[in-house]
Amino acid sequence: MSNNMREMLAGYVDGELPENDRLAFEKELDTNPELRAELEEFMNLKEVTGIMTYADLPDEVWENYWQSLYKKTERSLGWILFSVGAIVLIFTGLFQIMNELYADSSVPLLIKISVTALILGAVILFVSFGRERIFAYKRDRYKEVKK
Amino acid sequence: MCNDRALIMDIKSGDKQALGTLVHKHKKTAYRIALGLVGNKDDAYDISQEAFLRVYRSANTFDSSQPFLPWFYRIISNLSKTWLVKRSNRENKMVDVDDTSYLLIDSSNPEEALVKKETAAQLRKALLQLDFEDREIITLQHFRNMSYDEISDMLDIPKGTVMSRLYYARKKLATLMRSYYE
Repeated sequence: MSNNMREMLAGYVDGELPENDRLAFEKELDTNPELRAELEEFMNLKEVTGIMTYADLPDEVWENYWQSLYKKTERSLGWILFSVGAIVLIFTGLFQIMNELYADSSVPLLIKISVTALILGAVILFVSFGRERIFAYKRDRYKEVKK
Repeated sequence: MCNDRALIMDIKSGDKQALGTLVHKHKKTAYRIALGLVGNKDDAYDISQEAFLRVYRSANTFDSSQPFLPWFYRIISNLSKTWLVKRSNRENKMVDVDDTSYLLIDSSNPEEALVKKETAAQLRKALLQLDFEDREIITLQHFRNMSYDEISDMLDIPKGTVMSRLYYARKKLATLMRSYYE
């Protein structure tokens, strides 16, 4: 069957064909049993789907829909502010600890080096994890908002 | 009634009341589109809510010269794809993926409903087995009753592609349906 005939079959089932195409399709139907069989099959599908309807949600769910969404918008803003604040505080704190540690001559060198390694390690892991997340986001085929 | 584009402009400036109006206007459409795509009521509810959150957060990226619904549809569609991938990757499937209650027989005609009950049950099963793109086009045409022009705008594809995609999707659906009876 030609592509054109397939498209016309879909259009015929849905009543979307212009008059001249519809007449041409019906003419083809008279001589093409394969096309008639497909048409019947598609019409049956259309009939079955026609009596089906999506399950709705209870009224109280719809009544609370906006309230629930509103809370989520507030929470997402809360999380952003919390995350920014936490990052700034953590880095400032670490900087202060390092400063005081190196200024204190009573702390053994080995401890200073160990604490520095611990902090640097944590920072590297944090940056690496963040970079991986950004990379994954950029390559996400289903990134939610595409123009 | 407020125009969608005007509402988005207000949302861009942080107006939550405008978001509320937009939600009130499109919440059922969003839920039903998602339901057709993922076939599960709980997931569809979550996806519809997440879609509105994306609208709120991404309002700045909306091109105000374009209509709102195709943009919103793409958000729902992409979220649904992501949801389905996550669901199929989940080892311990907590979600009932064969949630047959998402499509019901219209009870306004009980006699017809009785005759078609079994076929309808097979249809639900078959729809969930279709590829995402096939289920998408069937959902829009059969269950949202959209015209070819509307589907073409919504999916940003030519009308001829709508027709051929519908043909192949129906063909697969019919084959699946046949296989249940063999």
